[in-house]
Amino acid sequence: MSEKYETHVKSILSECPDADPEEVAAAFEKYETEFFIPPQDAMRSILRRFKGDKTPAPSGSSGGSSSAPRTTRKVSSLSELKGDDKDIEIEVEIISHNIRDQTIRGEQKQIAFGLLEDNPWEENGQKNRWEYKDWGPNSNITPGSVVRIEGASVNEYQGKMSLNINQSTRIAVVREGTRPITAPGEPQDIGSLPSDGYVCVVGRILASRPDQIHRKDGSGSIDIVRGRLADESGTIGFLSWEPLEHEVGTLLKIEGAQVRTFRDTPELNFGRTTKIEIYHDKNFSDADTLSQQTVLTLSELRDGARDVDAVVQITEWTKRSFTRDGEERFLWSGQIADPTGRCRMSAWSELPITEDKLPLTVRLKGVRVRAWQGIPDITVDNADQVEFLDAPPWDSELDLTNHTAEVELFELSTGASRVGVSTTATVVSVREDSGFIQRCTECRRVLRDGACAEHGPNDGNTDIRLRLAIDDGRSSVSLLTNKDATLSLLGMTETELQDTVNDLGQVAFVQSLRGKMLGKTINASGRTIVDEQGAMMLADHAAMVEEDAGLRATEIRAQWKVV
Amino acid sequence: MQSGTRAKRQSAWHMLASEFSEATLNEKGSGEYDPSFVITKLGAKVNRVVVAGLLERLEVRETSNGSTLYQGQMRDPSGVHYFSVGDYASESMRELTLSLVEKTEVGEPVLLLMVAKSRWYQTDEGAVYTSLRPEEACEIDAQRYALWLTRASEDTLQRMKHYSDSLAAEPTREGLVAAGIPEHMIDGLLVSRNHYGDIDVETYTLNVMQALDIAEGRMDAASQPVAAPTPTESDDAESTGTDSGESEVKDTLVSIIEQLDQGDGVDFETVLTNAVARGFDRGLAEEKLDELSNEGTLHEPRFGWFRIVG
Repeated sequence: MSEKYETHVKSILSECPDADPEEVAAAFEKYETEFFIPPQDAMRSILRRFKGDKTPAPSGSSGGSSSAPRTTRKVSSLSELKGDDKDIEIEVEIISHNIRDQTIRGEQKQIAFGLLEDNPWEENGQKNRWEYKDWGPNSNITPGSVVRIEGASVNEYQGKMSLNINQSTRIAVVREGTRPITAPGEPQDIGSLPSDGYVCVVGRILASRPDQIHRKDGSGSIDIVRGRLADESGTIGFLSWEPLEHEVGTLLKIEGAQVRTFRDTPELNFGRTTKIEIYHDKNFSDADTLSQQTVLTLSELRDGARDVDAVVQITEWTKRSFTRDGEERFLWSGQIADPTGRCRMSAWSELPITEDKLPLTVRLKGVRVRAWQGIPDITVDNADQVEFLDAPPWDSELDLTNHTAEVELFELSTGASRVGVSTTATVVSVREDSGFIQRCTECRRVLRDGACAEHGPNDGNTDIRLRLAIDDGRSSVSLLTNKDATLSLLGMTETELQDTVNDLGQVAFVQSLRGKMLGKTINASGRTIVDEQGAMMLADHAAMVEEDAGLRATEIRAQWKVV
Repeated sequence: MQSGTRAKRQSAWHMLASEFSEATLNEKGSGEYDPSFVITKLGAKVNRVVVAGLLERLEVRETSNGSTLYQGQMRDPSGVHYFSVGDYASESMRELTLSLVEKTEVGEPVLLLMVAKSRWYQTDEGAVYTSLRPEEACEIDAQRYALWLTRASEDTLQRMKHYSDSLAAEPTREGLVAAGIPEHMIDGLLVSRNHYGDIDVETYTLNVMQALDIAEGRMDAASQPVAAPTPTESDDAESTGTDSGESEVKDTLVSIIEQLDQGDGVDFETVLTNAVARGFDRGLAEEKLDELSNEGTLHEPRFGWFRIVG
């Protein structure tokens, strides 16, 4: 029986002379018959088993491994590796690849770094991602390609594992990259930069000013430069940790800048390794043309944006006072609007606005955006940022005080948080906690089992709301209707609703709402909050949309020419 | 790479049963909470659907571990959806299921609309079945059913358009973007084309035509179980029943098979659906299909698949 495996058993025995040939042969047979692993593929596993069994681990750390031939350990998953593993072999997909110059022992050298992912062949399998550093650097590592890395070592730093690709490591490309490759040093459009990673851009400086960052621990401050850079595709704010003396209007090529996203706004970071040089291109748009792009509508405001220009109408304006450090200070704030929606504005210095002159149309220049509870709030730091216009650039008949802009659900769900919008979509869920709820007397949070997550048990105040999910086939938004909107949508008074719920019980009541609404079209207006968890609409008005199926069918036939 | 998209609710597709039940491709992300998808021939990447139809069957099945599982099927003009409601379903969904079981037991017709998650199952032999797990459902009237049919029809037509636009484009993300394919269709179209190869969209057109007929009130087919035609029904049907109509049925059946045969013949269900879509009574068409086989005009290379002889 064992003859079949004779040559394989012999090679095992040459490595592990103490092993029992019968046992080795039995192991080969087991692999072949029970797991369908042919002997040549089972070799490594069996060798490892008998080596582990029969030979004690080489004692002493004197690195006397020169006697034994160096064997590369082949693994299929990064999770098999330990922090001190050396000389391993693995097949991975290269996710990203960046090159940077570094001075190593006084010598200027290029090294590469990025992310790689194991298990590259199984389309939907479990995959792990690690960072890697390529000290070669090897020219055949490109993003999107699958490579076999032979002889890499594991690096563990503060509990985080990464892979070191050394100069002696062999890289074999198993599958060429299929993704579009942005070669390092190849400028990308500012309008389509990734939300993180290292990039190269060519852009003109639209704004630049020195600033300081104060260390939180009070150990001093760091001088930085903030500003804004633009090309024809878009603009982006920047933060330079190094002195930057180029004037506004200068065209620059910037290599190795890092994109970081703060709040909802991406920003370019220039550091010690970033290469900045003056770029010459006569056809590149001038600063005036480019700065047109920084003019935003209220629908485009993102938390954390800076150097924003906008034309808006101020519809309400009030002065508030507060005391800080024993001194009375003033803050002006109010409502503003444009045809895309509404939001708030605050000013730290007095503007020539009186109630009787409202509404007033103003051009805002270089203002910043903060969001409070998801609602964008424009901050004006000084009066020069506000220019009063004689007339709005849109139809002056438009009353923006209570204006709502009808916006597609998909646009709402992917855009910024907005106020004064309405949308139409299909009801795809009526949540079990629709109807009467108790809100915390302190913070208006919905009570769960009579208790607030923040303020503990309390009696709560009764409120009415519906919690729905609405959908347009591309995006899904959570819709909360307030008390008035709920009662008018259901066509009931509060008493009638109370009677209905008492009558049916909560579960049957919610089921009756589904009977009325599920799969039907609803129109709702209010404001939206968009964050990482998705989009939510808080509606102060909602109504079911009645449609005629026969008419719709005839329209569809005509539109799609199906007869 | 896109952080945060994980927790977002998946959007729902309005879809006829034929498109969903013909899907044999699925996709599951590597993470534990990654959503799974069924990808249809038209490239819809389906995690959730809004579907409606006539509740045809709903039965309780005791499973080996003592939990209760309700299995049902719901028919729309294009075919059948299979769904199951288990102990994992919400209390209100289980209560609704119980009341629906009572109604089906006494043969009371129920039009149902459900928002459901897509499920995918492969047998040891490699056959792939799709099914649904309803999250929320309610009984609807014919008017709401008609509205759902128009929406499902329109969305199907839209997907067919995207599908045919994608054929002319470079089969890469960039190619599809350039061809004007919207973002939510791109991933699905890229893999569906690879998996299904060339597909025939003609049957979907016929499904849509029939759905629109119902929505316009031209047929009362949907309010009765299609599987159980009654003699009176065929008498009432407008365009059939006369002797002169019978040869018309046969001619139509032959031309349907001629049109749709791609070498393997055309399956029973497709032939009949198409005949019904052209205004013929299902029972009559079934009868004539038999006759055509007996006459030797048609033969069945495999059970349930028809080809024209010669």
